Amino acid sequence: MTMRPPNDDTLLAFAAGTLSSSHALVVETHLALCEPSRAWVHELEEIGGRIVSDLEPVALEPDALARILARIEAPHPEEPDAPAVSEMPGLPEPLRRYRMGPWKWAGRGTRIRQVLVPNEGEARVLIFSIDPGRRMPQHTHTGVEFTCVISGSYSDESGRFGPGDFEEADDDVSHRPVVDSDVPCVCVVALDGEVKLEGMLGRVLQPFVRL
Amino acid sequence: MTEKEDYGRLIASVASSRDREAFARLFAHFAPRLKSYLMRSGAGAAAAEDFAQDAMLNVWRKAALYDPARASPSSWVFAIARNLRIDALRREQRRTFVLDASDEPDSLPPADAIMADQETAQRVLAVLETLPPDQQKVIRLSFFYDMAHAEIAQQLGLPLGTVKSRLRLALGKLRAALEVSP
Repeated sequence: MTMRPPNDDTLLAFAAGTLSSSHALVVETHLALCEPSRAWVHELEEIGGRIVSDLEPVALEPDALARILARIEAPHPEEPDAPAVSEMPGLPEPLRRYRMGPWKWAGRGTRIRQVLVPNEGEARVLIFSIDPGRRMPQHTHTGVEFTCVISGSYSDESGRFGPGDFEEADDDVSHRPVVDSDVPCVCVVALDGEVKLEGMLGRVLQPFVRL
Repeated sequence: MTEKEDYGRLIASVASSRDREAFARLFAHFAPRLKSYLMRSGAGAAAAEDFAQDAMLNVWRKAALYDPARASPSSWVFAIARNLRIDALRREQRRTFVLDASDEPDSLPPADAIMADQETAQRVLAVLETLPPDQQKVIRLSFFYDMAHAEIAQQLGLPLGTVKSRLRLALGKLRAALEVSP
């Protein structure tokens, strides 16, 4: 079964490392679930490797080699990306690396928690869990929103989105997907820019997004 | 020009026997290029030096994870550096950066100028070379500028829409060519 992948230019930006860490995490979640996208990103990384190989080298500090050799000798604590810190079952590996904020109620049948990514800058990563038949909170935004479904599914004007499917929404989109699976739809969302939440949910979501 | 070193074997040697001499040779090749990469992406020299150090430290620690069947040595090192960059670089730093795109070559040098010892690398790079130079250039610039493409458009003196359509065209051709070939 083919999953809905991100746009090619989004995958290129991921491969190049020019996405914000928040948006990159949602792309990584998709990649963990979608082998064809992983293979395509590997190809794009080959271009990156080639570009770096071809760059004019820049001289290092005189003590650079001594410094790195000292660093590799030094004992180091366990890799920070090794332990899974999230208690949420069923999360794809990239999301298990991060701690999560508490679940917050966000309207009937809707819960939201924040993924505590470092260096989040302007962007936020949220996990939504929305019960069957419920709608996502309505909002508009000026930035780019990435969504990857982890379990369950939803539908909106552009179709149906199930596990691993990726959707990106530009500014001015005000869509209200409805959950059409018989289990809750869990998805990870990166939000960016000015987010405007409508109705009382604005107050509920205030702690999560910079308004 | 660089001598043709077998970087894959050096990485394997670091993995199997913690070979410091092999690592020093990897460092001599990759660290100055990683520094260059980050400076082109907007970092100052000192930050770029630290970045190259951190990336090479990860090369040392993760050497056992390198799989030559999956990636060429340079793309593996690039991906390690890319992951660090995503975590380390704030958007603000990239935004304030101005690079002169006229320094950029219109196209990549021929494939035999580097060692592509792996099938994927050879295929994707071979297909890339068949693209028109203006399409190669937007792909190349995408590795340094963020995906809004506004800076690329400014640097090339092209409308934003032209940059975006050129990039999508190039990526579509790459993808199609790679999917068709076995």
